[in-house]
Amino acid sequence: MIESQLCQLVGIKYPIFQGGMAWIADANLAAAVSEGGGLGIIAAMNANAQWLRQEIRKIRTLTQKPFGVNVMLMSPFVEEVAQVVIEEKVPVVTTGAGNPSKYMKAWNQAGIRVIPVVPSVNMARLAERSGAAAVIAEGGESGGHIGELTTMALVPQVRDSVSIPVIAAGGIADGRGVAAAMMLGACGVQLGTRFLSATECGIHPNYKNKVITAKDLDTIVTGRRLGHPVRQLKNKFSRRYAKEEYNMAISDEELEAMGSGALRRAVVEGDEENGCFLAGQIAAMVHKEQPAAQIIEEIFDEAQAVLKEAGKWVK
Amino acid sequence: MTTFERVEAQLKEFKDLNPGELTMETTFAQLELDSLDTVDLLMACEEEFGITIEPDENLKTVGDVVERIDSLVAQKQ
Repeated sequence: MIESQLCQLVGIKYPIFQGGMAWIADANLAAAVSEGGGLGIIAAMNANAQWLRQEIRKIRTLTQKPFGVNVMLMSPFVEEVAQVVIEEKVPVVTTGAGNPSKYMKAWNQAGIRVIPVVPSVNMARLAERSGAAAVIAEGGESGGHIGELTTMALVPQVRDSVSIPVIAAGGIADGRGVAAAMMLGACGVQLGTRFLSATECGIHPNYKNKVITAKDLDTIVTGRRLGHPVRQLKNKFSRRYAKEEYNMAISDEELEAMGSGALRRAVVEGDEENGCFLAGQIAAMVHKEQPAAQIIEEIFDEAQAVLKEAGKWVK
Repeated sequence: MTTFERVEAQLKEFKDLNPGELTMETTFAQLELDSLDTVDLLMACEEEFGITIEPDENLKTVGDVVERIDSLVAQKQ
């Protein structure tokens, strides 16, 4: 049994969060992860308060276990979403794409455990100072919006700079990754890509299939020119986008417009040519569709075996 | 050194600035500082001035930062 302070902090059996993936992490997936002993997270993404409220009420019909909501700070609806998580008494809020300190006081007063995703040491320090219960140090191996540092470099640096629990994210697929994250100083992990293959994950079958068949070099980072780098699977869309980034005849606005709606085309329509299939570098380590609970158990069985074996290196 | 000059010195860690380029009206957006850079800059200023600055949306220009620092330093004394 692998247990850490993160389990007590948010009331979960295994110290694992499911990432708040836009368009993907809904009440169904989050409920399956929470039922499986981890923390399922609903992505508020760019959705409004009404949509989020429905998802929160839905997850409560599917599980009694704790869950979280990921608040995307650059969302046009962030103010109303920040209020909904209070009104609906969401136990855990993770945040992405910015500095959440503005909302921290109200969330903490409402008894919410606030756990920001941080890509740097100073963001982690700021989060701790503003009242975060823990931080998620996410390295650039992950899918979707990424930071500059890798998980291997970021996690120990964040560990050394804050005293709140650190959760590692980015590049973790299995029990070996969990064991390594713990050696780097994390007390838990957040996985996104691995849960794309969960039976309860409602993405288009083409998306799932692309993840399951992906190989090691099949992800690409686009969007650096616009200052928002994004990791996704290689396809016609991402290759064309990567090329156009170097085309100075195309304005930033046109480039931005090219990306608009592409994630929805992947998730909902399964459009293999024009969709943006976000996935992390470990997509190649995802081999089959299986229930979320089984994914979690498998990961922690392996992590336990790996950690027990670790003593063999010490002579 | 004035507060402005000390902030300018911190900023030079992040940006190549020509002499006279930076004014009190220069915005973070003009400097192309993203939220991570801004937090790094403010934390560097915290160390320089021995204060704690809470980043918020009212801090948009170099002048905003200079004024905030002056007021925090005055409070401390």
